[in-house]
Amino acid sequence: MTQEAITGAVPSLRAQRRTLRLARVRTAARWLLLVAGGLLFASVFVYALLSAVKSPADVLSGRWWPREWHWSNFKLPFEQAPFARYYLNSVVVGVSVTLLNVVTCTLAGYSFAKFDYRGRDVLFFIVLATLMIPLEVIYVPLYALVYDLGWVNSFLGLIVPSGTSAFGIFLMRQSIDAVPDELLDAARIDGAGELRILRSIVVPMVLSPMAALALFIFMANWDSHLWPLLVASDDAHRTLPVGLAAMQANNLGSSGIPTMMAAAILALLPTLVLFLALQRKFVEGVTMTAGIK
Amino acid sequence: MTRALRALIVATAALVGITACGSSNDNASKGGAENVKLTFWTHTHPPMIELNKKLISEYEAKHPNVKIAYEQIPNTEFATKMLTALSNGSGPDIINMDDVALRGEYIPKNLLAPMDAAAASKAEAAYVPGTLDGAKGSDGKLYGLPTEFNATAFAINKKHFEDAGLDPSKPPATWAEVATMGEKLVAAGHEGFNFLYLHSGWYTQQLQTLLNETGGSILTPDGTKSALAQPQSVQALQIWNDLIRKDKVGNADTASREATVPFDDFASGRRSMTMIYPWAVAQLKADNPDVYKQMEVVPLPQVDPAKPTGRWYGYYMAVNKASKHQAEAWKFIQFVTSEHDRWLTDVNFVQPVVGWENSPAAKADVPFLNVWAKAYSEGKFDEVAPHYSEIQDEIKSAVERTIFDGQAPAASLQEASKAIDQILAG
Amino acid sequence: MARAARNRTGLAFALPALALFALFAVYPMLRVVYLSLFDYNLTSPGRYVGLENYRFLIHDARFHAAFGASIFYVVAAYVPAVLLALLIALGLNTRMRGSGLVRLLYFAPVATSWVAVSVIWRLVLHPEGALNRTLGLHVNWLSSSGSARWAVALTAVWKEVGFFVIIFLAGLQNVPRELHEAASLDGAGAVTRLRYITLPLIKPVTAVVAVMAVIRGFQSFSAQVVLTDGSFGTEVVNLFIYKTAFANARMGRASAVAVMMFALLALVTLAQLRVFRRTDR
Repeated sequence: MTQEAITGAVPSLRAQRRTLRLARVRTAARWLLLVAGGLLFASVFVYALLSAVKSPADVLSGRWWPREWHWSNFKLPFEQAPFARYYLNSVVVGVSVTLLNVVTCTLAGYSFAKFDYRGRDVLFFIVLATLMIPLEVIYVPLYALVYDLGWVNSFLGLIVPSGTSAFGIFLMRQSIDAVPDELLDAARIDGAGELRILRSIVVPMVLSPMAALALFIFMANWDSHLWPLLVASDDAHRTLPVGLAAMQANNLGSSGIPTMMAAAILALLPTLVLFLALQRKFVEGVTMTAGIK
Repeated sequence: MTRALRALIVATAALVGITACGSSNDNASKGGAENVKLTFWTHTHPPMIELNKKLISEYEAKHPNVKIAYEQIPNTEFATKMLTALSNGSGPDIINMDDVALRGEYIPKNLLAPMDAAAASKAEAAYVPGTLDGAKGSDGKLYGLPTEFNATAFAINKKHFEDAGLDPSKPPATWAEVATMGEKLVAAGHEGFNFLYLHSGWYTQQLQTLLNETGGSILTPDGTKSALAQPQSVQALQIWNDLIRKDKVGNADTASREATVPFDDFASGRRSMTMIYPWAVAQLKADNPDVYKQMEVVPLPQVDPAKPTGRWYGYYMAVNKASKHQAEAWKFIQFVTSEHDRWLTDVNFVQPVVGWENSPAAKADVPFLNVWAKAYSEGKFDEVAPHYSEIQDEIKSAVERTIFDGQAPAASLQEASKAIDQILAG
Repeated sequence: MARAARNRTGLAFALPALALFALFAVYPMLRVVYLSLFDYNLTSPGRYVGLENYRFLIHDARFHAAFGASIFYVVAAYVPAVLLALLIALGLNTRMRGSGLVRLLYFAPVATSWVAVSVIWRLVLHPEGALNRTLGLHVNWLSSSGSARWAVALTAVWKEVGFFVIIFLAGLQNVPRELHEAASLDGAGAVTRLRYITLPLIKPVTAVVAVMAVIRGFQSFSAQVVLTDGSFGTEVVNLFIYKTAFANARMGRASAVAVMMFALLALVTLAQLRVFRRTDR
C-alpha cells in the first residue's frame, strides 16, 4: 500500500473539522427552521389574543399591535350570551362522561383481563368491532333512539350515550393484564370480595393509564360538537362548542370580532391548560389511541 | 350472590331509575291543578324580543296559573331547529315562524294545530283580505295569526347621495338607475348597493323579489317542476349579477353576514342603498340613530315602473300539533297578536288589520307611512313547494356560483333547475 | 369463592359497558341500515322505499359534490399534514435542550377544540385578516369556490399536524439509536439512513397514521360549519348527512349516505392495512 493510498483513506484534520462544522451548521439551521415553524404555529394564538383585546375598528386595520388594550372585551361573551352556563354545562358533562367512562372501562377491562367465562372473547371482539362504528355513521338513528327515550334536551342524552369507549376498555384490559395473578389469588384466599379486590389491589396498580384515559376522554368530550348540537341545544343545556358556534352566527359583523376572539380563547383555555400541566399524560393518551389500531 | 354482584345490580337499578325520572323537558301539567307551562320559541330580533318579554309578563300577571318559557333561537339555526323539533315532537307549544316555512313545510307535514272555525272566521273579518293566506293550508284552514306582515321597500342614505352629487329626492326607480347611481356612489367612497348574503332563506327571498318583477318564477304553475331556467327567471339573477359583478356597485365578499342585524352594512353607514323591511327601520332607529337621520325609505326599484310589484311575507304565531295545551296556547296567541298599536310603535311590526294605515299609532309612529302603505298594496306571498328547504339550498348555491364564482346566470340556474326537478320528483 | 361464581361476577363487571354498547352502538348501527330503506322524518311512520334512497343519491349532484368535498379535504389536508408531521418529528427526535418547548408549540393546537379553532381561523382567513395581510394578498378565502376548500384544508393542517407529530415521535423513539450510529460509522448519510433504517422501522406507525388520517378526515364537521356553513364546495359528507337529516327532514336518505360512508371507510381501512402489510414483507 502506498503512502498516498493510506493518507487518502483518512481525511485530513482540517477536512474533518470542516465536516463537523458543516454538520453543526446544518443542525443549527434545521433547529432554526423547527423553531420558526413552531412560532408560526403559535402565532395564530397570539393573533387571536391580540385581536380579542382590540376595539372593533382596530381589528381589521392591519396593525398587529392593538392601539388600545380592551381587556374588558373578555367580559363581553358573558354579557352577550349565557357563556357561563355553556362553560358550566361543558364541565358537568365532561366530568360526568369521564367518570362514567373510567368506571365502565375499568370494570370491563378487569372483566376481560382477569376472568374466564363463556363468550368472553366473542364479547371482547364485538367491543373492538365498535371501533369501526364512528358517531358520524350512526348519529341519525342514535338521535331517534335518544328522542324515544325522552332524553332530548337533557343531560342524560349528553352523557349516557358517550358513557363508555372501546378504546378505554382495550386500554384498561391491557393495563390490568399486567397485574400479577398471584396478588389477586392471595386476596381471594383471604376472603376478599371481587369489588374489594378491584378497588384495593387492581386500581392502585393501574392509576397511571386510568389517568391518561381520563384526560383523553375529558379532552375529546370538551371538543364534542355534533352530538350536543343535535341532542341538547337549548340554552339550559348547551355546551361550549355549540354555544360558541351559535354566538358566531350572531356575531359575524366586524363589530363582533373581538367578542368572538375573546370567547374562543376562553373556550380553549381549559384544555390548553390541562395539556400544559399534564403534557406527558396527554402524549401518552394520544399514542395509546394509535397503539391499538 | 356476592356483594359485588349485588352492588352492581343496585347501580344498574339506580341508572334505570334515573332514566325513568327522565328528561327535564317536562310539558305536562301537574295532575289536578290548573298550572299550565307553555314553551314559546322565536328567532332573534332584539326589538321583538323586548316586546315579547313585556307581553309575556303582562299575560302571566293576568293569568297566574300560566307560565311561559320563552326561548330565542339564533337565526342561522332557526329553520333547522324548528323543523327538527316539530318533527320529533319535542318542539314548543307556540312558534313564531315565517309564512314560507308554515306553508311549505309545517302545514303540509301536519305539524301544526288549526284554529277552530269560529275563531278563524272572526279573524278573517278583522284582517285585510289575503294577508292571512300566509298561514293557511291547502285545506283552507287557518293555522296562525300574524305578528308581523312585511312588504318590501328600498332605503337610501341621503348624505351619501349628496356626497356623490346625486339628488336624494330622486331615488332610483329602476334597477338600471340603481346601477348608474351605484357607480357614482362607489366613486364617492361608499358601497353603492348590495344584496344580503345570509342564510338560504335570504337568498331565496331576494331572488323571489326580483322574480316577481321580471315575471319569472321558481316553479311551474302546477308546482311540479322548476321554472328557474326560463328566460324571465334567468333575467332576475342577471339583474343581481350585473349589479354586483358587472357594474360592481357592491362587494359580495366583504358584505356583513351578521344574521341578527341583517342590515348591518347599511346601518353602519357603509352602504348607500338597500332593499328594506319595516322592522329593519325600527332596528336601525334604535341602534344607529345618526344613520337613521340620513335614511330615506323609497319605493322598491322596478323592472317595469308601469307595473310595480313587490313581495310580501309575514311571521305568524302558531300552535304545535303535539302541544298538550292548545287552548291555552291560542289564548296567549290572541293576546299577543291583538296589541297592534304596541307592535307598531315599539317594533315597527305592521299587523295587517283592516284600516291599520289609518290608525293614529301608524300615523304617528310609522316613518315613511305612505311608501309602506303603497308597498303593502302591491305584492304577493312567495311560492312554496314540498321540501322547500332543499330548494332554498339549491337557490343559495346557484346564486353563490354566479355571484362569487362568476358562473353565468343561465348556466347556474340550469344546474339548480335540474337539482330542483329531482327534489320535487323524489 | 367458587370459580364459576367468580367468573359470573366477572361477567357482571362487563355488563354496564356492554349494555351501553348494545344500546348506543350496535343497535343504531343495525338501525341505520334499516332506516336507509325508508323515507323517514320522525313525524310519521316511515314509508318503505327500498333502494330508492340509494338510487336518488347515485344521481344526486349534491351528493356527488359532498363526496368530492370529503375526498378533497382528506387529501388536501391530511397528505400535507402527515408529511409535515413526519418531517417535524424527525427534526424533533433529539434530546436537544429546548426541544420540549418547541414540541409544545406544535402540540398545542391538538389540545384545542375544533369550534374555537375555526372561530379564530375565520378571522385569520378574513379578506382583511392575518393571512392576507401577512402574504400581501387579497384573496377571498372563504367566499369563493376556488379558495374555500383550500382555506378549510389549511386550517385542518394547522390543527392536525401536532397530533401526527406525537404519534410519529413515539414511533421514532422505538428506532434504536445504535442502528443509526452503526450506519453512520459505515458512512451512510442522513438521507440513506432515513430511507433504509427509519422509514422501514416506522412503517407500522405510518400505517396507523394513514388510517387515522382518513377516518378523521371523514369525521370533519365543525370546521366546515363554522368557516363556511358548507358553501363553496366545502359541504363534506358529514355535513351533508346532517343537513339532509335535520334541515331537510330526510332521515332515511341521510341514513343511506351514512351506510355508504361506512362501507367506504371500512374498505379504505382494510385496503390501507393490506398495502402496508404487504410491503412489510
